[in-house]
Amino acid sequence: MNNSKDDHTHDDIGCLQAIEAFYSYLDGELEDPKSIKEFEHHVSHCRSCYSRADVERLLTNRMSESAKSSAPEQLQDRLRKLMDEF
Amino acid sequence: MTEQEHLKAFFSQQIEQSMDALYGTALRLANSGADAEDLVAETVEKAWSAIGSLAERNRFRPWVFRILHNCFVSNYRKRSVRPTESTFEEDCEDQLTSLLNEQPDEFLIWWANPERQFFNDILGEAIMAAIDELPDAYQTTIMLINVEGLTYDEAAQALGIPTGTVRSRMKRGRTLLQKALWKQARDAGLKHDEQQ
Repeated sequence: MNNSKDDHTHDDIGCLQAIEAFYSYLDGELEDPKSIKEFEHHVSHCRSCYSRADVERLLTNRMSESAKSSAPEQLQDRLRKLMDEF
Repeated sequence: MTEQEHLKAFFSQQIEQSMDALYGTALRLANSGADAEDLVAETVEKAWSAIGSLAERNRFRPWVFRILHNCFVSNYRKRSVRPTESTFEEDCEDQLTSLLNEQPDEFLIWWANPERQFFNDILGEAIMAAIDELPDAYQTTIMLINVEGLTYDEAAQALGIPTGTVRSRMKRGRTLLQKALWKQARDAGLKHDEQQ
């Protein structure tokens, strides 16, 4: 990873544009190939955005692990009985 | 097997696969285990009654989440104690720019180089506490996408809002979440300038 501004090219977008696309990209929702390429190019050259992306991925994974809930057995039984009556 | 029996088998299979996600979402919305169980049971009853309105079977998940959300809004929201109103205009084009302008410089500096160690050590409970502080609209959107794995399009269908609004909520909600975590880092004494 290089943080030098001198390495930025005409493909580069600014941090604000990268932040605009941040969550769409990380959530797999950025579809336009040009936008994906611009975002990836920026993040590979910008230490701040690389760091943000790294932490956002970690946060998403941690959140996903922590927030998963299992339906209690009594609810599972209740729903199955309910569906049996349909 | 009759067509009705096929439909019932399909419905039961989908509900079996979605039970945990429906309960998890109901729990976040209703903020009470007992209410969450009632909400899911009511959702399943209404979903079966309305199965004829399911236009595409591969859209079952957003369709049933939409029913869950509607049931919550109709019957449970009044009992929920979490904030439900956003203080921001959700569809404003330059909202992220304005959001960033609203943040203290100290936060923006930290966000440009957050302490990786803090995020490595942060407990799931702390993250969930920060999520609980978010207004209802942001919390629900983030949970549907980042925890239950719905796409933006599916979350939009489940919440009955445009996909653009989902995109806006994700940007603003995740930025607010970062800010809440920054406050935790600051309170824990992990100031940015002390990490250099």
